[in-house]
This record gives sequence, C-alpha cells and structure tokens, in this order.
Amino acid sequence: MINDVTPAQAASFERIQCQWCQGMNDKAATSCSACGAPLDIRNVISDSGWREVPRIRDMTEIRFSASTCQVEGEIVPTAEINLGAGDSVFFEHHVMLWKDVNVPLSVMSLSGGFKRALAGMPFLISIATGPGRIAFSRDATGELVVLPLHPGMELDVREHAFLLCSHNINYSFVRIKGLANVLFGGQGMYMDRFVTSNMPGLVILHGYGNVFERRLAAGESILVEPGAFLYKDASVTMQVEFQKLGSGLFGATGMSMAKMTGPGRIGIQSMYVHHKTE
Amino acid sequence: MFCTRCGAKLTAGVNFCTFCGAKVVAPPIASPMAPPTPPPAAIPVSTQRAQSMVAPIAQAPSAHGSQTCQWCGAIFDTGISANCPKCGAALVARSSVPSLSGWLELPPRKDMAKLQFGNSSCQIEGVYVPIAEMNLAPEDSVYFTHHVLLWMDPQVRISTMSMRGGWKRLFAGMPLIMTQAQGPGHIAFSKDEPGELIALPLHSGQAIDVREHMFLAATSNVQYDWFTTHVWYQIQNDKETETFYPVGPLMDRFFAPTSPGLLLLHAGGSVLVRTLAPGETILVKPTALIFKDPSVQMQLHLEHPNAGIFTWGAWQARAVRSIWLTLMGPGRVAIQSVFERIEQENGNIVNTSYATSQYW
Repeated sequence: MINDVTPAQAASFERIQCQWCQGMNDKAATSCSACGAPLDIRNVISDSGWREVPRIRDMTEIRFSASTCQVEGEIVPTAEINLGAGDSVFFEHHVMLWKDVNVPLSVMSLSGGFKRALAGMPFLISIATGPGRIAFSRDATGELVVLPLHPGMELDVREHAFLLCSHNINYSFVRIKGLANVLFGGQGMYMDRFVTSNMPGLVILHGYGNVFERRLAAGESILVEPGAFLYKDASVTMQVEFQKLGSGLFGATGMSMAKMTGPGRIGIQSMYVHHKTE
Repeated sequence: MFCTRCGAKLTAGVNFCTFCGAKVVAPPIASPMAPPTPPPAAIPVSTQRAQSMVAPIAQAPSAHGSQTCQWCGAIFDTGISANCPKCGAALVARSSVPSLSGWLELPPRKDMAKLQFGNSSCQIEGVYVPIAEMNLAPEDSVYFTHHVLLWMDPQVRISTMSMRGGWKRLFAGMPLIMTQAQGPGHIAFSKDEPGELIALPLHSGQAIDVREHMFLAATSNVQYDWFTTHVWYQIQNDKETETFYPVGPLMDRFFAPTSPGLLLLHAGGSVLVRTLAPGETILVKPTALIFKDPSVQMQLHLEHPNAGIFTWGAWQARAVRSIWLTLMGPGRVAIQSVFERIEQENGNIVNTSYATSQYW
C-alpha cells in the first residue's frame, strides 16, 4: 500500500540508482558520486545487450575514502587523484603522468611476490600516499573504466589493464593455466584479481579503443576474442575453445575464442594491441 | 506489388522500395525541398560544384514521406530513425554540407546506429575504435577475415568460405582465407586501429573498388573480385631494381549482382568523400585512397618542386618528389586522413606505369 510508506522511505525512493555501478545518489545529482557515470543520460545498450562504458563528463569528481578523482580528456583520458591524508593508491609505475613533489612513493611487497616476471622484467607495483595530487594516463587511445568495488566483490582484470586502485582493495593475481598456451605462446598469463574487504574501493582500468560491458545470466555464455577480454566478475568462468575452420584444405586453420559463462559481468575492449614491455 | 529492382515485396501505395530505395512510381515533378539560395557571384567555383553534387539528392520527394541519405544515396521513409538505415549516417542537415573544396566528411554516425539488411540488422557502436555488431537472421550470412572477429554467440556457425567460389587469389602476396558466419545469432567485428567504420550499402548491380586491407566484412550476397591496379614504379639502388605498388598490386572489387548488400570497411582517422564530374581530376596520396566507383580511373603522377637552379640545395632537392595518384571522374572517391608513408618516395625512379609529371 502506498500509504504505508513512511516519509523517510519516500525520501529514499527519491534517490537515483546508478545504472553502471548500482550506487545510490542524491536525486539532484547529475553524475554518480561513486563512478562518475552520468545519471541524467540514458544508458546506451546495444540490441544484443552490451552496454557502453558511460562517457564520464570531463572533470567529474569521483570520491573514495577522503580522496577525490577527476577524469579528464577524451581520446587518451587521464585520471587525477587528490589523495587525502592516509589514503593511498597503487599502480604500475609507468602509468604516472605527473605528481606533487611531496607525495611519497613506495613499492608494494606482494605476497607470493616477484615471481611474476614479464618479458624478463619484474612486476612492480608502486604506491603513492597522500596528502597530495598525482595523475595517471596510459599512452594509448582508449577509455578509462571507473569500477567502484563494493564490499564482497571480486573482480578479475586482464594483466596490465589496471591503471590504479585504491589502497583498501586487496590485490593479487591468478594464473590462468588453461589459457597459457593459447594466449601468449607458452609465456603464461596472469590475471589481476581485486577483492574488497569491508570497505568500498575504486579500481580504474584502461581499455584500448572502446569498452563494452554485458551482464551474463547464470549459465549464459558468449564467445569472446581472447585479446578483447578486459575484466569480469570472479563468478564468470573463462575457458578457451578452439574453433576449427573448414575442412581438409585448411586443416591447420582455426582460432581460439574464450568462452565466458555467467553469472556476472564481463567487459571487453574493441582494440587489442599487445604492447611489449620495454 | 514488387520492386522492379530488387524484387522485394512492397506494400501498396509506397513510392520507393522500402528495401533498396528504388523508385516504384514516377518521381514527382518538382522538388518540394527548399531550393538552395542562388550562390552569390563571388562564391568559389568549387562550392557551386559541390552544390551541384548535392543537387540530385535535393530532388528527394520529402513531401511524399521519403528522404535521401546524403552519404550513401539510399531513399527511405521519413521519420523512421535518426540515422540512415542503410549506412548509419546521421540524418542531420549540418553533416551533409561539403567543405569549400567539395569533400564531404563521413557524417557523424550516431552511437548505436542501426542498419537493416535482409531480415538481419547491424549496429555500430563506439567512437575511437568502433565495432559492428550483427544480428543475423537464420537465412543470412556474412564473411570476414577471421582476425576481426570480436565476439559471437555460441550458436553462430562459422566456416571457411568455399575456395571454388573464386577465392583462389592471393591477397597482397598472402593466401586469403575468408571466414563465413551463418545466422541465427549475434556476432561482432572490430579492427585494432583507431578510425572510422564505413558502412557501404551496395544497390543491386552496383560495384565498388576498394584498396586492399580496408575490408572488414560483407554480406554473403556481395561478390568479390580483384584486378591489378597497373600503378607501380621501379626504384634502382646500385644494381638492384625494386618495384613498388603505392595502391597495392591488386585492388578489391565488391559487386552486388542481384540483391542489395552491405559492405563494411575500416579506415584510419577521418573519412572524406567527393563525387568527380566526368573528366574532373584530383590528386590524392595513393595510400589515402579508400574506395572509388569503378568508373573512376587512376594513374600515377610525379611532382617535382622548384628548388632554384645551380645551387647545392637544388642538387639535393632533385631527389625530392611527390608521388600522387590522379583520379579522374565520373564517380565517387573516398580518402582517409591517416595513411601509411609511401615507400621510397624519394628514390631513384627508373621506370613507372603510365604517369604524368610536373616540374615546377
């Protein structure tokens, strides 16, 4: 019954839920405070259910803990962080664009540590601690995907795709054994895994080209070009299928596709360049 | 009632085929659209020409509920969408005005623009590296090179295209293997470069010449052929002579013989198109060419800048040369703004295909 609604509940109904990250916002808000997605613009979803990463308005402020983040630029966007005292973000050191002189940098000691070598290089995660400002970008045409992580969420991300991550998120990596041969010719492949403990956090990814997300129902699956995979909920399973093409003439012709099976979100990028680590 | 051009079944009373855009009844006598104001005398000739290029389109009988896409020329009912249902071009007046020199930019495609072909549809999404997403009906299929496949539904059937159908050619020295996807189901394509995705609807009987490596996908009723470009030059270094093909040794020709088809191309940067009058010529950088009507002829043109005489600089400048491609109308030509460097542009050219030259 409508009449049973208390004024307090009615007020809560007047909040706007962000279609991108499910965060609740004040009814007057035009951008989601958690992920920066525009709230006054309809979500763009293709016929087959892919949602475009919302174009975050230039200079939209996104908050986490005592810090704010501003995403600027169109073709190669940058993320500018104003770190509150005690807050920190971690990142791969080559994505730094500029910083205040007095923002201290340190290196994260990963549990299970530095056995993850990439093209002969140790994999280093740097940490910047507030107060102060620091900005990040990756030097390729693409989009920044702002993914607020609510407590209990687990996110798997393509390696090297994450731009930065707030300190209250647990970072680890998993090795995908089944994909090793198919994807990187025996070099093995790691996926970054972000797990929230009890505090909400923020992960910002960089996707090449345009980024699309789709929510798979339980048991629903889709075949994705392995290079296009960007992120997924940990509940989505990934398994490589080899598609054999044609008959005797092209006995050797085929392609591998990653079969993603729900439930959960999956994000893809429309361009997939494999940059060599310099 | 059936369309005389494509055979599609039509509802009684329509003036244009809802499928291919062919006129079903005699066109109305006068153009109901506001005629363009007569250009002042001082207006550059190129603009007048540009307007004359648009002029046939202005005869579209909008009073009869149809409108014409300025980009691809398709005619369809007014008000059905914000984009051309054939090529996805945004149907806003502003986008259809050519530049003063007569180039028309590929109109800003609305995100998620939807195109119809047969009982299937194609949606183009994304801005930097757009993707084409197809919803294939059970009877429809498309072909593509397998590395452009982005994702697909598990039930879409893929196979290599039959070699007997004329697929014997070598594609720029490499074996060409085309993959075919058969509906029902969804499938999406993208290429790994920032640029534009061009949707080219081919009316039945229409053919188009496309420079190699531009092809993304085409509906299976589009036939594919190739021809030698006859555009080459030879460079001599010491005793070695090497042949270069600035538009590639071969060019692709796509042809929709009986029913309208859809051709998807990927080009770098921005895309510009213009229609050349009979005999009209323009010079373009060979690697910038995307496609041309088969009626447009092409040949090599070498241009030598004037660097003065009897100086060391002039001696050095002898090697400075521009290699151009002359395109001669009638017909459409399209170019891209991001293109590769021409190999050995300043080398010692000893022989060329038929070429004109200019010394300044």
